[in-house]
Amino acid sequence: MNHTAPTYSADFATAAASRLSRAGFLCGVVGLAVAIGLGLAEGDHMRHFWLSYLIAFAFVLTLGVGGLFFVLIQHITGAKWSVTVRRQAEFAIGTIPFLAFLALPLLVPLFSHEGVEEFGGLLWSWVHPHGDHAALITSKVPFLNVNFFVGRFVGYFLIWSLMARYFKNASIEQDKTGEHELTVRMRTRSALCLIVLALTYSFAAFDLLMSTDPAWFSTIFGVYLFGASFLAIHCFLVLSTLYYQRQGHLKKMVTIEHYHDLGKLMLAFTIFWAYIAFSQYMLYWYGNIPEETAWYLIRITSPWTNWSWIEPIGHFFIPFLGILSRHIKRKPPLLGFWAFYILVVHYIDLYWLVAPNLYPDTVPFNGVEVFALIGVVGLFLWKYGQQAKQHSLLAHRDPLISDCLAFQNY
Amino acid sequence: MAITGRLTMTNQTSIHGILAEFDSVDGILHAAEKVKQEGYRKWDCHTPFPVHGLDGAMGIRQTRLPWLVLVMGFAGCSGGILLQWWTNAHDYVFRISGKPDWSLPANIPVAFEMTILFAALTAFFSMWILNGFPRWYSPLFRAKCFTRATDDRFVLAIDARDDLFGEETRKLLESLSPNTIEMIEAPIEDGKIPLRLKGMLGIALTLLLLPPAMIANARFTKSTQPRVHIVPNMDTQVTHRGQEASDFFADGQAMRLPISGTYAQEDDRLIGEQVGFWTGKENGAYLSSIPMDVTPEFEDRGRARFGIYCSACHAVNGSGQGTVHLRAQELLSKTWVGPTDLRTDAIKQQAPGQLFESISNGIRNMPSYSSQIPAADRWAIVQYLKESL
Ligand code: HEC
Repeated sequence: MNHTAPTYSADFATAAASRLSRAGFLCGVVGLAVAIGLGLAEGDHMRHFWLSYLIAFAFVLTLGVGGLFFVLIQHITGAKWSVTVRRQAEFAIGTIPFLAFLALPLLVPLFSHEGVEEFGGLLWSWVHPHGDHAALITSKVPFLNVNFFVGRFVGYFLIWSLMARYFKNASIEQDKTGEHELTVRMRTRSALCLIVLALTYSFAAFDLLMSTDPAWFSTIFGVYLFGASFLAIHCFLVLSTLYYQRQGHLKKMVTIEHYHDLGKLMLAFTIFWAYIAFSQYMLYWYGNIPEETAWYLIRITSPWTNWSWIEPIGHFFIPFLGILSRHIKRKPPLLGFWAFYILVVHYIDLYWLVAPNLYPDTVPFNGVEVFALIGVVGLFLWKYGQQAKQHSLLAHRDPLISDCLAFQNY
Repeated sequence: MAITGRLTMTNQTSIHGILAEFDSVDGILHAAEKVKQEGYRKWDCHTPFPVHGLDGAMGIRQTRLPWLVLVMGFAGCSGGILLQWWTNAHDYVFRISGKPDWSLPANIPVAFEMTILFAALTAFFSMWILNGFPRWYSPLFRAKCFTRATDDRFVLAIDARDDLFGEETRKLLESLSPNTIEMIEAPIEDGKIPLRLKGMLGIALTLLLLPPAMIANARFTKSTQPRVHIVPNMDTQVTHRGQEASDFFADGQAMRLPISGTYAQEDDRLIGEQVGFWTGKENGAYLSSIPMDVTPEFEDRGRARFGIYCSACHAVNGSGQGTVHLRAQELLSKTWVGPTDLRTDAIKQQAPGQLFESISNGIRNMPSYSSQIPAADRWAIVQYLKESL
């Protein structure tokens, strides 16, 4: 090692992480308990609760897998700018095995016989094809059947967990050994992993969310969810960094330049998300084929019209103009506000993707959604905090760290 | 510290500026701070790589480029939308597969591309202009120490046109402990384009004139050659004549009938007429009279319709010597069957219903006219054939 290179020390945020973890656990337990209570009171076979749980779960999944995309992309591009924030994404991917555990409750609406006659399945109506499209959906049963569905998710989570484990542990091992070879090895492996991740995530998006309307299909759906997830993880990193800096950590290690970079990627992926969302919309609008436009039809007709306007205006125009200026990207509290805002519209986006399929005639949104979200995000933060408690917040012996700190935006 | 170059400052006008060479980043940063503090305005630093903090040390303000890009991006976006609205929805309305004349979704891709195009080109060219490009030559190139400014030395140059420029300038630079200080004279033949470059530009411009010249030539001369057909599209597809046989369709005919259940969208007042009105037949027999009121206007209309629809083949006098027929004979078309002379007894003796049927459904080589001529007008033509021809 070059003896003139400066050395950096590890940054253990044990107290701050424990606080986050404890608060998360509390929110998790209370939030879910209240959501279940409210859900039971509705007397709809818990259908509304399961919808809320599915969306909340999808929300934290976009953070976990979004983090995996983030880490892999930093490695494959040999990114220097992100070294000092990458560890937080590594904590996020450390929650993936736990996310598999959070997915388990979804087996209930999958296997439950309640409401099957009425809806064809509490969340996934292909469980019991019925109604106008029964014949069409039945023809998809070789792919959309309960056993294969569960099998696929076991596969997805196995693959993601293995990847997450490898990339997180290798980075943490470097904290101890400082071995440069690890960086090289992670870079080489990230290539194949990215391909596998892109494919599995695309299919997971089809399965988990798109198949809530089994008659509808869109090949771009996986890319759509990737765009949303990649946007979400950048917002999460901004907020998480702000939190740790407030608690007195990472003070000199994450500078205005890093916030600026995170902000630029937030802007880029706000645009990317809109590009994909609009591409899908425009092709269906132009083709004007009934089986494709039906999905948009329920969304642009009452009562979902207003929710649909949130997509182009709230998820694109407002944040686009909001974070376009470099002055905003270089003011961490302001950027933090926009990061939070985008995460809120990100949730609305996920909700909009699924809820109208199950409730074409009403907007069921109420406290159940809010508490389910608080609960699931709380549990996610609980695990996130636990990861952060044990390890340095900084990959302080990453060979690229000096470059990361020397970097400046113009 | 060594001082090279001609240091005489007697003739101010011939001096271009003064250069100081440093061999470290710290040196130039410190020097820049000082020069800025003294209040100089026309000066610059030349370094082999971007030096962090140099902008701040020199007091360079944030560039205005982003604002230009923003404004031009918006201009591109609104221009793109306006262009599409004007061309497709206003000036010459395009109706495509039942879409509304004007709807935003279809126009967003172009608006998006125009935004990017305008923003990118603005960024690129404004950057040039703000940096004073294109510039063929700078007198600084003549300074000896400047050659290493792209390698391992850091050079600070103060322009002689600066208000504060004078003897103190050199003193100031000396106080900053540079490697060397060098004075450069203003060049005599500054900024002239070399002859070779001029020649190349001339040739390029001449070549650029070729395409417009060829277009102008094509525009104003006549040619007997068929025009160049770059994209044939469906211009030369296989066509069929009315009543022609075809292997393609199961019924062996090239002519397609409307699918069953189709009904004519004709004048509403006539819907509800007898079957004979539409077919020319009642109970299997041709109508022996016109099922409409025969008025002078009706007869006039019949003459006019015959002139419009039939005379091209059958000729105005019904002889069958119409222009289409004459042209076909000129071409010696082997498959051409001449139009019937409509003045012969064989035709005159036909019942009005039969004539009506021939027009409506076509007969042998003559195609059907029911899609072009409303039934009432077809009866008017029959009246004309019977009575006036
Ligand atoms: C494209 C040229 C063309 C036009 C236009 C045309 N005809 Fe003909 N018409 C023909 C030809 C060719 C025949 C002879 C068909 C054959 O014998 O195969 C014919 C034959 C006829 C006959 C004789 C039918 C029979 O029983 O032998 C009548 C009547 C007739 N046309 C009336 C009309 C009337 C009325 C119009 C105007 C609505 C019209 N045609 C327009 C080409 C045309």
